[in-house]
This record gives sequence, structure tokens and C-alpha cells, in this order.
Amino acid sequence: MSRLQAMSGFGLLVLLAIGWIVFVPGPKRTTDVTVTLRATMNGAPLTFDQFMYDNPAGPGAFRVRDFRFYLSNLVLTSGDEEFVEPDSYYLARFDNADRSYVITLSDVPLRRIEGLRFLIGVDPDANGSILARGDLDPNSQMAWNWEVGYKFVLFEGALDVDGAISPLVYHVGFSENAREVSVLVPADMTRAGETQINLDVDLAKLFDNAALIDMQALPTVKFDRTDARMLADNYADMISASY
Amino acid sequence: MPRVIVLLAAAAILVAAGWLIRDFIRDPVATPIADFSAPFVFGRFAVPPDNPLTQEGFALGRHLFYDPILSANNEVSCATCHIQAMAFTDGRSRSPALSGGELEFSAMSLVNLLWGQERFFWDGRATSLEEQALMPIQHPEEMGQDIDVLVAELSSSSSYRRMFRRAYGEVSADNIARALASFMRMLISDNSKYDKYLRGEVRLNAQEEHGRKLFMAHPDTKVSLRGGNCIDCHSQFLTSGFRDALDGFSNNGLDPEDTLAPGLMAVTGNPAHKGFFKVPTLRNIAVTAPYMHDGRFETLRDVMNHYNDGIVVSDTLSPLILEADNAPDTPSDTVGLRMTPEEIDAIIAFLHTLTDEVFLTDPAFSNPFEGGS
Repeated sequence: MSRLQAMSGFGLLVLLAIGWIVFVPGPKRTTDVTVTLRATMNGAPLTFDQFMYDNPAGPGAFRVRDFRFYLSNLVLTSGDEEFVEPDSYYLARFDNADRSYVITLSDVPLRRIEGLRFLIGVDPDANGSILARGDLDPNSQMAWNWEVGYKFVLFEGALDVDGAISPLVYHVGFSENAREVSVLVPADMTRAGETQINLDVDLAKLFDNAALIDMQALPTVKFDRTDARMLADNYADMISASY
Repeated sequence: MPRVIVLLAAAAILVAAGWLIRDFIRDPVATPIADFSAPFVFGRFAVPPDNPLTQEGFALGRHLFYDPILSANNEVSCATCHIQAMAFTDGRSRSPALSGGELEFSAMSLVNLLWGQERFFWDGRATSLEEQALMPIQHPEEMGQDIDVLVAELSSSSSYRRMFRRAYGEVSADNIARALASFMRMLISDNSKYDKYLRGEVRLNAQEEHGRKLFMAHPDTKVSLRGGNCIDCHSQFLTSGFRDALDGFSNNGLDPEDTLAPGLMAVTGNPAHKGFFKVPTLRNIAVTAPYMHDGRFETLRDVMNHYNDGIVVSDTLSPLILEADNAPDTPSDTVGLRMTPEEIDAIIAFLHTLTDEVFLTDPAFSNPFEGGS
């Protein structure tokens, strides 16, 4: 082999090495995230429109006609890094076959996801605005009116006490009742640049938690601040990671 | 000299023929409608990608809307039951059926259809305006028309051929639907006194303002809040039903269980939707009497009386209606809001601020066959 051939071969190897470094992708630097919320009642998928749940602190059984809430200000974390999803206002509703609500986020600029936090409810700035952002819609069922803001958590149904049916209406809003939820994401939930986060939304906590609600005695909560805060403290931990 | 005239005439004929051929073979030259505006408080809207709003589509749709050629007997047009001065209703409880008698439902107002529910008809059986547009044409009791016959009839008209060509290309059922949907989408009402109030141009008088506050409030006696509860079904700015999913349908307590009409249940098959009907817009409500899906109430006062003490309880009745009571501690044999006569008057006064005379008389929405094209 001539010296020239050897040098050419070496040059070729150098070029290949440079090409390898430049053109072959390294580990993916972004993550696709799927957050799945599943509505449950006492550990089982939520059932609508049937009197099958006991009044937690009083007589009778109740049914659920509607249950939905705003999830906002979504932040994903990885160590000291965090990614704030802009304009993240999601109306989580569960009137589908598998009682789930799915949020998908593509190319989150974090290599892995270690934590997730968000508000149940809406931040004061957005709550006082009539601009349509995300799922915030001032012409929607979740808008009280532009002077009050949004319902954060909505539950509607009925209570059956010995055949006497009465309505249940729990609409919880007011900026002070937004509650932050924070969950850790186990490392094995991220694979090949995709993270799956499963969250359980236990509706029972709304009535059976720090405060135990007798639906017959308190069939409705709307604008009374004390009642609203009581339910907000109850729903503060209705969402937990489920793996 | 005569030779020159003959040559000129021949040239003119050639040019005219060329023009006609060019007009015939070229693609549609539809002009996008880009300059219309709507209040931002109406929110976002979407136009189907396969039916963009165009001047030509709107103009064609307007002609079709007012042309009785759409019906089998060439006597009924869309405008027969949708009259502009009545916000595109017809003033009847239920419109007449072709074979005599009455149709099942009252003619719905056509206004601000870019917003609100994305299902049409009282029972929500159409999921787009394009789908909706062809249904009355083919309904045996409404216009009774065979759609293929209609396409043939329109194809035999040189002016319709030209209008279709410019807007979409060929005369077809799909393009009839596109044109009618485009016309209906542009029926925007945003010049009522309430709109001017929202824009900060006028003030409501004391009674109207009282009515507005009652309209926007669900009553809560625990905090001494009195309310008419309207907003629980009619959105605050659009005053229509809600857009998402089936949120814009409700059972508002008209009939008992055994005579409750299927309503939305006929479409979804879900018993929880029995007696649910589309919540209508309240825009121009003062000129769209009679009221409800079957036109059972003659006046707005009748409607208010229904909500005040005439609610009929059934299993699917909205819990928001059943629960809304301004005097829950006072025993009563009736179910309703139990407001005072002054409060009812105030809400009716507010409802009158939703009348938009500009919309009701806008020449752009009028009959083009009466010299307005």
C-alpha cells in the first residue's frame, strides 16, 4: 500500500467519522407525552345516570348526570428543568365509553419526564377574562358569566331517597378555589422518547374526604364561598397517579 | 364598406364565442369572503375546509334559498318558512305540511349558525349545515323534491349553470348543499342593543339591566342571589345553546314522562336524552313567536310563566331547572323560578334588547328575485 493510498484511506475514515457525528441522531432530546385521566368512583370506572352510589353521609343513593372540570397551567418537570405548556386550559370530561380524557403533548423539550403539576381550576388572570384560550369559552356551559368567571368543577345529578328524587347541583368556582396537583412520574414510564402518564380521578373524594357531605342536607353548592371552599379542599387530592 | 361590417361582425361573434367558451371551460373563480367581521365575544368558529365561504357561493345560496324551484311543486322555497323579518322563522307554531296538517316541529330561526351547537334541527339530527340543507328539500312533507330531479332542473337553467360554474363547478346535490350552507353561515346578527351595550356604545335602561343580571344568574338563596337561570342553557353572549358535544340540548320541563317526545334520544338512542331539544338562540327572540320546538307558547310572557311556575317534572328534566328556585323555603304545588312579576318584566325587557333591526332588514339577506340581487 502506498503512502498516498494509506493517507486517502485515513482521510476517508475521518470523513466517515465526521459524517457519523453530524448526521446520525443522538438520543432524542424531546419527549412526546400522553396524559390520560380516568374518572372513577371508589376504584371502579364512573357510571352515569344510575342511582348506584350511596349518599356518603346521609340517606339515599345518587346518580351522576354530568361531571367535568378545568385542568390548567400544565407544567412538566425533569430535575431542575421544567416545561410550561402555553395556554394549557383543558376541559376534562368523561362522557365517553372508557370514561377517560386524554391530553397529548408532542415534542416536549425535556429528555425525560419526572413530574407533572397543574391546577384543578383556572388561574385568576384567565378566570377574569372573556378571551377564548384553550378550552376556556365564555359561551360554554362552564362559564357562569363574565363578572364571576368559570365553574372549575361541575357535578350535576340527582338523589333518590325512598323514591323521592331531588336534584344535585355542585358548581365550584372562584379563583381562590383553584388547587394545585403535583404527581411524580416513575422513570419506567418513559420509553423511546414517549411518556405515558395515567391519572385516576376519584369523584368520590368530592363528597367523602376532609369534609363528609350529606347530599340531602347540602344538595347544592354554587355561590356560597364557605361551601365552595369546602368542596375545593375535597377535590384538591381527587387526582392521583395510577400505575 | 359592407365587407368591413361583415368582417367586424364576424370578429365580434368570434370574440363573444371565445368569451363564452372561456367562461364555460375555466375553473370556478370563486372570490373568498374575507372581510366579514363578528364580535370576538362570539368566540371561535370553523368553516368546513371543503366549503370555504365565497361571494359566489353565498350569492348562489341566496338565490336557491328564495327559489321555489327547490320544491317538487315549485311553490315552496326555504324562505316560505324562514322569513327574514321574523329572523327566518314563519310566525307559526308548526309550518304547514304538503299533504295538509302541520309539520312535527316549529321552523327554527337561522342566525349566527357559525357558532353554538354543531347539530341542527330541534332534535339535532343533522351534524353539519351541508347535511341539514338537503333534508327539508327531500322531506316528503316539506318540499318533497327528488334531489336528482332538482339537479336536472337547475342544470337546465343557464343562469344557475353559470352561478354553479363560478362558485363550485358543476350543478350537483353536494354543491346545492354547499351554497345553501354558505348563505346560512353568513346570516350574522350582531347589531342588537345588547351587542351595542357589549361594545360600550349604549347603556341598557334600568329595567333592561335588571333583566340582564337576572338572565345571567342561577338563583342562590344562600347568598341572596336572585336569578332567571337563563344562562344555564343560553350562553351569555351568543344566547344560543352550548357548542360542545351535546351540551346544547336539554329537557326544559314541557311534558310529563308518558307524553315526553323522544327529541335527541331519537338520534342518539340514549334514554338519558329523552325529551332533550336543541336550545335555540335568543337573538331576535321578540320577533320569533310562537316559542318552543312545537310552538306551544304564544308570547314571551307565556314562556316566562312556564319557567316561573309551570315546570313539568320528568326523569330527564335538567337538574339546573328543577333546582333553580328563588323561594325554596316557601311551600308550593308548582315547580319553577318563582320570581316576582317585576323580575319577569325585566327579563322580557332584556330579551327585547336582542332584536337586531339591521339584521332583519339587511338587503344582503333579502329575496334576490325581488330586485335585490
